[in-house]
Amino acid sequence: MCGVIGVIYKNTEATGLASVGSDLIKMLESLEHRGRDSTGITIGGVENKSDYIVRFRIEGQNSNALEMLSKGISSIGAVIEYSGFANGFGKICVNYEADVGKLANTIADIDGVEVDSIGTNSEIVKDVGDATQLNNRHLIGEIKGTHGIGHVRMATESKIDVNHSHPFWAYPFPDISVVHNGQLTNYHSLRRKYQDMGHKFQTGNDSEIISVFLAERIESGLSLDEAIQESLEVLDGTFTYLVSTNDGIGYAKDSWSAKPLVIMETTDRVAVASEETALLSVFQDEIDRFEPQEKECMTWLV
Amino acid sequence: MHDLVSIDASKLSTRQINVRLTELIGARKDIEIINPKARHNIIVGILDKCNITVRGSLGYYCASLLDGPSIVVEGNSGWALGENLMSGNIAISKDTGASVGASMRGGNICVGRNAGARAGISMKGGSLVIGGDSGFLTGFMMQKGQIIVCGDVGDAVGDSMYEGEIYVGGDIASLGNDAVIVDITKKELISVWNKLEENGIDKQPEFKKIVSGKKLYHFDKLERLEKSSV
Repeated sequence: MCGVIGVIYKNTEATGLASVGSDLIKMLESLEHRGRDSTGITIGGVENKSDYIVRFRIEGQNSNALEMLSKGISSIGAVIEYSGFANGFGKICVNYEADVGKLANTIADIDGVEVDSIGTNSEIVKDVGDATQLNNRHLIGEIKGTHGIGHVRMATESKIDVNHSHPFWAYPFPDISVVHNGQLTNYHSLRRKYQDMGHKFQTGNDSEIISVFLAERIESGLSLDEAIQESLEVLDGTFTYLVSTNDGIGYAKDSWSAKPLVIMETTDRVAVASEETALLSVFQDEIDRFEPQEKECMTWLV
Repeated sequence: MHDLVSIDASKLSTRQINVRLTELIGARKDIEIINPKARHNIIVGILDKCNITVRGSLGYYCASLLDGPSIVVEGNSGWALGENLMSGNIAISKDTGASVGASMRGGNICVGRNAGARAGISMKGGSLVIGGDSGFLTGFMMQKGQIIVCGDVGDAVGDSMYEGEIYVGGDIASLGNDAVIVDITKKELISVWNKLEENGIDKQPEFKKIVSGKKLYHFDKLERLEKSSV
């Protein structure tokens, strides 16, 4: 089944960074019934004085991995400004002016290290278990930003572990990630096409292709809106997906309107979710909601 | 008019809400539900006449498996409001998600504003009135009854319908497989207007009528009883 949520604050230049982390956790907790296998979020517009925020994990008992990571990053001339690591999950802030793909490959190639995200102002945190567990382990509720997306997963297409949890970062494109409710039927053919173009896939989950597709199209010059429009023609299967970039969020719904999405919007905030109950967890008053139909998409920028 | 008793949904589990409803209906009370917060599976399996008002939005599969109640919802609903309604009345003031009135067999459902995809899917009787627009595959595989959409309908309206009628006041994005537009008689138009009036919707002058073209009917094998009559 799965549940997707998203939120964006429109006036943070005037009001300062908003409590996006807290909103995301409240919305995900209210959608717990749509999946408890794993839960994850992307928060965008977070404060960052370095070039890139890297979220990574070290799998298993790999005591050398942290040291190897530090050495690897230094070897390409990058400088670590901040480093934090606990219970297998790590975050580093890095100054690095060369190609971000090289930074991503350097980290991902270290034995036992998995890269969850690299972003200029966004980070992905995902873990097995429900939203309350995610918040207890990673203190998401305290993170401030301008926008974000989130996902609760009931696994159908691939295995249950942190790697196969949403959101999926569009490796190695900074800040682009996707959460998806549905199944893609042309995943394997699309994946082969993008592999032939040189893209590295981090998982065997069909949803990962959406973020890679969108990132590649944006990289080639399309706007977020245009890339999403194109995805409606390219993706086959059932989907409601949300995408987060460095400055906005967007959604698309498949041509059967098979998966739900409802939206509430005020002058300063937009919230989107699989179900209205999630919207009511962050909007105190029952304001009007809007339900997109088949083959519809929309974007909002901060 | 019976005494009005309030149920605060925020203090009860889904099962407790439905058990409490059954108790109050047995005691012949009128009921209001407050703080529903778009939760699922509220008001299900009620087979008595009663009056229930919901102050707020409902989630999925609410007001379903009903035979007799009169329900007013002041808000929206998620998927499949009024699924398998046998008799009674459901009036919702705002929008509904997909599959409103799925497999309904009787009674009346009125959506104040817009309905999502597959409104009236496989309906087998009764009336589904939609004040605003209706989404993709409205009336998909319907077998009996009527759907009235005052606004526009999405693609593939009436796809694979067997019987029944769909009346559309606004634009039709496209007809589904074997759905055809036929002339509407004055008598039918008046009956549509009356139905709208019963549901408190201002009548509009014109409606298009959609029925099954019956080209998908291929019953070339006879049933046992039919064979004996040939």
